[in-house]
Amino acid sequence: MARKGSSSSSKPLKRRAARLAALVSSLTAGAADATRKVVRGRKAPSKPAGGATAQAAPAAPIPRASVVRKPSRNPTIARRKAAAGKSPVRKPGRRAGDAASSPLPVSSASTTPAAPWEPAQPASAPHHSRTPQEPPSPSAGETPYAIPSGYGDDRIVLMVKDPWWLYAYWEIQPETERAARGRLLPHEIAGLRSVLRVYDVTGRDSPAEPVHRAFDIALSGLATNWFIQTDAPNREFIVDIGLLANTGRFLLLARSNRVTTPRTTPSEVIDEDWMVTDEAYWKLFGLSGLGSGSSPSWSGSVSSFSVVGTTRPSIVRGFWCRVNADLVIHGATEPRSTVAIQGQPVAVRRDGSFSLRLTLPVGTQTVAIDITSPDGRHTKTVTPVVTLAWSGALSADAASTETPRARTHARPSGDNG
Amino acid sequence: MNPQGFVALVLHTHLPFVRHPEHPDFLEERWLFEAITETYLPLLERFQRLANEGVPFRITMSFTPPLLAMLADPVLQGRYVRHLEKLIDLSGKEIERTRWMPPFHRLALLYHHRFKTARQQFVETYRQSLIAPFRELSDRGLIEPIASAATHGYLPLMDLSPSAVRAQIHVGVQAFEHAFGKRPAGFWLPECGYHPGHEQYLKECGVRYFLTDAHGILLGSPRPKYGVFAPAVCENGVAAFGRDLESSKSVWSAEEGYPGDHDYREFYRDIGYDLDYEYVRPYLSGDGARLNTGIKYYRITGKTNDKQPYDPDRAIERAAQHAGNFLFNRAQQIEHLRSVIDRAPIVVSPYDAELFGHWWFEGPDWLEFLIRKAHTDQTALSLIAPSDYFQHYPTNQVLEPSMSSWGHGGYHDVWLNGSNDWLYRHLHKMAERMTQLAREHAQPDALQRRALNQMARELLLAQSSDWAFILKTQTHAAYVYRRIHDHLARFNALYDAVQQRRIDDTRLARLEETDSPFPFLDYRVYAD
Repeated sequence: MARKGSSSSSKPLKRRAARLAALVSSLTAGAADATRKVVRGRKAPSKPAGGATAQAAPAAPIPRASVVRKPSRNPTIARRKAAAGKSPVRKPGRRAGDAASSPLPVSSASTTPAAPWEPAQPASAPHHSRTPQEPPSPSAGETPYAIPSGYGDDRIVLMVKDPWWLYAYWEIQPETERAARGRLLPHEIAGLRSVLRVYDVTGRDSPAEPVHRAFDIALSGLATNWFIQTDAPNREFIVDIGLLANTGRFLLLARSNRVTTPRTTPSEVIDEDWMVTDEAYWKLFGLSGLGSGSSPSWSGSVSSFSVVGTTRPSIVRGFWCRVNADLVIHGATEPRSTVAIQGQPVAVRRDGSFSLRLTLPVGTQTVAIDITSPDGRHTKTVTPVVTLAWSGALSADAASTETPRARTHARPSGDNG
Repeated sequence: MNPQGFVALVLHTHLPFVRHPEHPDFLEERWLFEAITETYLPLLERFQRLANEGVPFRITMSFTPPLLAMLADPVLQGRYVRHLEKLIDLSGKEIERTRWMPPFHRLALLYHHRFKTARQQFVETYRQSLIAPFRELSDRGLIEPIASAATHGYLPLMDLSPSAVRAQIHVGVQAFEHAFGKRPAGFWLPECGYHPGHEQYLKECGVRYFLTDAHGILLGSPRPKYGVFAPAVCENGVAAFGRDLESSKSVWSAEEGYPGDHDYREFYRDIGYDLDYEYVRPYLSGDGARLNTGIKYYRITGKTNDKQPYDPDRAIERAAQHAGNFLFNRAQQIEHLRSVIDRAPIVVSPYDAELFGHWWFEGPDWLEFLIRKAHTDQTALSLIAPSDYFQHYPTNQVLEPSMSSWGHGGYHDVWLNGSNDWLYRHLHKMAERMTQLAREHAQPDALQRRALNQMARELLLAQSSDWAFILKTQTHAAYVYRRIHDHLARFNALYDAVQQRRIDDTRLARLEETDSPFPFLDYRVYAD
């Protein structure tokens, strides 16, 4: 076991440092920070979370949330983010402003300022807003509610991630640690370090009994959680967090719950009423689509609505472009006149204006526009002739670097241009 | 003639509870609107057509409580109609815009017709509530509806708090009973997430079976004699059906699966992105970011960005072929199985319902073809619901399924990793506090009862597996941070208020109105 000296294990100091790190990490918007630890192993979690980071991120949802750089598989989402880049939490943030500006009857709650987590009043106009939503300026007296960084407990919780990995999070109060230190002899203080002690307690009541295996993980100062590699499917584990003196003395600060990792190989137990041969078992294994081998890789189908997009088929990347030309016909006439383009009626607005957008194919088009007065006595026909010709090929594989040129000739007869 | 085997198609419908009356237009509410237009209405239409023509079928559908609550919610119903009206307006403009481009013009007409039909069905036929028609199909024995957890909480990572698991399951079953007027035969474990022992709470609710992923059964102990092709029965009598991965893959896989066929409609080319910004701006969400409108004109074409126009006739022909292929493959699979096992196997194929129609535009057609062909073209297999299997084989092997999920990796990695692990210390604490207060308040006064029930709502809403998932994919992460923050903050404020006996009636009422699902909720489910 390592017996490196460490004078930085003062918990209050650590907690302050943790808060500082949290602030930094929120400002650096999720950049991997010094508090993150990598547990080396066969199958490291994509992002082993540092404790302080993990705690602090939710407290500062705005910066953390703005780290959406990864191109989303669901374009709806990714592009919304891009456009909303000014403040990704614009919507929720707007609540307070909504409440303040709501024309709805003032509820008694308005006598006490609403907390940021409180729901705003229902929207007054149930119509789709088309104005960009701006983040509110928090009204005086409001303090953003932060997700608690702790609950005043001394506890460690153990969870199973998969057959090979566990996850533990914990919270230890400074006074608990001080009390533990108080039990140490002076010469034990130097080199004292925080450790996780992982016990394989399969079939045992507690770690007090001789255990199958135990190992320590030295914690870096700011950790409040850890991904633990055990590589031990179908075993039971308990984890202690404590202080380890260089004399080998271990002071327990908290003991976790017990968890059992799942098995990864077929059970050795065979029910004689339901006998199955190895051969038949593996055949069934294959027929269920699992292929061969005892450690199949499961297909990654998942359940949420926004999820299937993660299986978007790959696209062969190459230069591509897309060019279209639309013709917008717009004009105005007497209100309540009727307008038809190519014989199809077009809506005339109350002020008599109308507009229509047509996407043009290549070639020459003659567009007949008939405008009839409200009483039906007068009709005027305007007939633009539009020619669209492209030079340059637009297919993906050929000459796609050429610049397409559009030539549009509109020859309106009449004065509605 | 008795069939050689059985196929159980299971469609899992779920959307997280997203309802924001405080905003006039809320992007994430579109999840529901798109699912109604593209999945729920098309499925209903086809099921009812089959029923009216006397084509027998049996499909299992799970309905999660958040989805049931949103489908029954007048605010969202009204907003859905407005959403449709905008689509009708936009597709009407598209008819004009595409007049000179016949392949697109035809599709514009098709979309316009679809949206108008959707409005007519939603408003007139179903009077804005889609639960009743599903219930009617259930009453006629054509679909077997099954329940799911209260807010699609990921139960294996909740195991620290047994009362929280119990509440997710009990409240889920209660929501089901409110919607369907009966006990559910089966239960969809969210994300197929199974933790040994959770069958206890299913039994308390009278549930007969649940579904797991394949390895949940295959790695069960003792060794399963029939693999995933017969149910396994837990010690307490609740049965588990394992997912068949072969049939799953043929639909799920984007590369090898049917939905990736080049003739099918391309999901990722939508006029919300393709057309001139000014033109589509009125149909975008409040912030003006481009988004999917649902109007898509191209077919998948191939691994290229040079997409060809979509041809619905070709696509529908392909859907029919694929339905035939699916049946053929199942018949083959069953024939092979009969050489290994001494009974008629059941092949369980669960899918997210929203795959059909939303992602895989032709999915509902495929399903209809499948049902018709299963009825007329073959006798080798028959479509059943899992519970029907017990009539054929009432006795099944007892074993303990293995911890598992259908998420990537087969375990909990998707919901427990560096992007979302911080959630659990809060969720666990909330569950602990809820349990504590539920035990301390066996005889509440009216206000305390409301506050405690609202705490339970906030806890349940915070537990939705969707949040952990979205934090991982980072697709709507800002929204999700806010949701977790709000539910946690509201919960803790109520916790303090209850403990200090200072419950503010007005504030509580506003929370009840905002986080509104489960009006029947009784927090004492946490006390046991």
